[in-house]
Amino acid sequence: MTTTALRSPSRSRAHKRRRLVVRNIVVGWSFLLPNFLGFAVLTLVPVVALFYLSFTDWNIFGHANWIGLANFRRLVHDDSFRIAVENTIYYTAFHVPLTLAVSLGLALLLNRKMRGVAFFRTAAFFPYVTSIVAIAVVWNMMLSPEKGPVNHLLNVIGISHPPGWSTSTTWSMPTIIIVGTWREMGYFMLLFLAGLQTIPPELHDAARVDGASAWQRFRKVTLPYLRPTTFFVTVILTIWSLKVFDLILVMTNGGPGQSTLVLSQYIYKTGFENSEFGYASAVSVALFFICIFITAIQFYVNRRRNR
Amino acid sequence: MKRSILRGFGLAAVAAVALAGCSSSNNSGSGGSTPTSGGSTAASSAPSSAPSSAPSSASEAAVTLTMSGWTFSTTPEFKTLADAFHAAHPNVTIQLKEYDAKNYDTQMTADLAAGKAPDIYELKNLQDFITYQSGGQLMDVSDVAASYSSGPGKLSGLDDYKVDGKYYAIPYRQDSWVLFYNKDLFAKAGVPVPDGKWTWDDFVTNAEKLTTALKAAGDKDALGTYFHSWQSVIQGFAQSQTPGASVTGDDYSYLKPYYQRALELQSKGAMLSFNTASTQKATYQAEFGKQNAAMMPMGTWYIATLLSQQASGDADKFNWGIAPIPQYDSSTFSNPVTFGDPTGMAINPAIDKSKVAAAKEFLSFVGGQDAASDLAKIGITPAYVSDQVTQTIFSAPGAPTDDLSKWTFSNHTTKPENPVSKYTQKIQSILNDEHTAIMSGSKSVDSAISDADKRVKNEALNQ
Repeated sequence: MTTTALRSPSRSRAHKRRRLVVRNIVVGWSFLLPNFLGFAVLTLVPVVALFYLSFTDWNIFGHANWIGLANFRRLVHDDSFRIAVENTIYYTAFHVPLTLAVSLGLALLLNRKMRGVAFFRTAAFFPYVTSIVAIAVVWNMMLSPEKGPVNHLLNVIGISHPPGWSTSTTWSMPTIIIVGTWREMGYFMLLFLAGLQTIPPELHDAARVDGASAWQRFRKVTLPYLRPTTFFVTVILTIWSLKVFDLILVMTNGGPGQSTLVLSQYIYKTGFENSEFGYASAVSVALFFICIFITAIQFYVNRRRNR
Repeated sequence: MKRSILRGFGLAAVAAVALAGCSSSNNSGSGGSTPTSGGSTAASSAPSSAPSSAPSSASEAAVTLTMSGWTFSTTPEFKTLADAFHAAHPNVTIQLKEYDAKNYDTQMTADLAAGKAPDIYELKNLQDFITYQSGGQLMDVSDVAASYSSGPGKLSGLDDYKVDGKYYAIPYRQDSWVLFYNKDLFAKAGVPVPDGKWTWDDFVTNAEKLTTALKAAGDKDALGTYFHSWQSVIQGFAQSQTPGASVTGDDYSYLKPYYQRALELQSKGAMLSFNTASTQKATYQAEFGKQNAAMMPMGTWYIATLLSQQASGDADKFNWGIAPIPQYDSSTFSNPVTFGDPTGMAINPAIDKSKVAAAKEFLSFVGGQDAASDLAKIGITPAYVSDQVTQTIFSAPGAPTDDLSKWTFSNHTTKPENPVSKYTQKIQSILNDEHTAIMSGSKSVDSAISDADKRVKNEALNQ
């Protein structure tokens, strides 16, 4: 189709296109670069270093001696590590479904036209923007076993032996889960609200015309349409739960005993308090793989359902 | 070149652990022996005094040393020492670098690893001493230590810094635990004040007597005593007083009687319960200063705090005194056994060679008589003990004037809270877990002690 006469402009057009491609790549990269540089310097390099350190006995000063798998062998026999893993899984297993249910419930409740909806949405979001230290102090005071208002209230309604909350080994983890849920529900409610807005109202109208009950409409219309949001929330929530740290550190510091010791806190303790950075790195690597493993399962399940 | 790569690598790794553990908050101190308060992060501050004047002799060139410290706004000791030394040695200027009190050791460790630490730095507690020493971050100062063998007073805590016959730091401050008591509350209850000859059983009897009598006298808030939630309030005494007890052993049964007494006080309502104290974030300053407790075991650093809080109105105005801490048995009444860690000064081995002589001169100054009286004037218990120091402390307005208080201040055997060993830090952390388990009522004393024995063996001694 091309004639000799047209060849030269076409070649220059191809040349132009190639220049455009290069230009686009350069522009693209230059937009990405600042972020990538920050990621590389602050995350990628340290993470690679972390993997290396987990095979050493580094204690911050002096040389990091290569000790092979010794740190990981020690992990297997470390009871505190086992307790930390169990507590982390305990927290995650209850915190994720509870937060999911509460934030979805709140989102459904606040996804309608009513008076003061903006106020209630803000109120639900408030815990998320409040300082974690303030949250821990106030909740600890409210749940104080002898002088706290919560147990006073429980006494009034006839419960003679209310729980010891954060001061009892059996109740400390449920307490952390409750406070953790209260703190994070607002953020995930916001994500669910955004998801709810994307559901076309016609679908609900059609279902209503067909005589579907509210529960049926929720199961057959709302939930399927929320799937992408639910998946995202579940993944993020699970990773956050596995890495829970600040709330526990300020509220119970892992106590009483080791009843709320979680992995992140164990890493902090072995690394920064006992100066065993090599071993702390090994625990971090273990946490990393637990996170990856659980997230991979979630992606797998999600993909199968999408089929 | 190689070193700088290692350093960079070290820093990156610290960041890695921090990120992977997503650490963000402070570690809440439980066994800390010095009151801490929040402060700013490390920042250089201006030299505390005017630039050094002309050198006193041609051979003494001007030297500028850098020195660490924490929370300058409420901790005046560093400036006091730096100024006093500069006045005596005008050719040496000491520049202070501020660290955060709560994260002092974490920040100092990072600075040392990065080669950015000051020439002279403090060892805030004994727990981390071994980390610095075994990591080669302390200069041998045995020659300075040797100069203290003679003199009118005695430098306590020096031997805590001895490893294999060499000294690595000079103590300038040595607090120890005593019994603070409120004379007004004792009078109100009609209970005779401590006579310096109490065992712990006497203490429990009197605490219960005070609680009942104070309630009968119409004082609803005041209890017999207050135990702060730190593990050292119970374990420190058990470890220092029980014959044969050791922090780094594998048999903690010696803790049992001390815990039983604390649990008895708690169950009889003679002190604020551990659960309430920890959930309400009770402070020992308020519990004793607001007269909620008639007696309180606490370190001597609280003398200066109480004096200043009574003057400012943060604490009530009442008569108080200090008595020797109750003893294991009557055999030690004449020289009461208590515990406390020294605070020391050390030299960074990375210091410029030309500055070493001046730095050692400064170290020899901080452990001596002159520095001790300067510290005593601002209410700090210096490591150098002499009659003059005691007189200075008790001449402050509002300080107790009775003989027992003065005797208590200068007569005691102070054992280290954290004996120097590479296991101490880990063991204290395990013992703290068991402390919270016992005091919260979650675990019986016996099962907590057997757990402690087991965990110390598995997690510390065999690693």
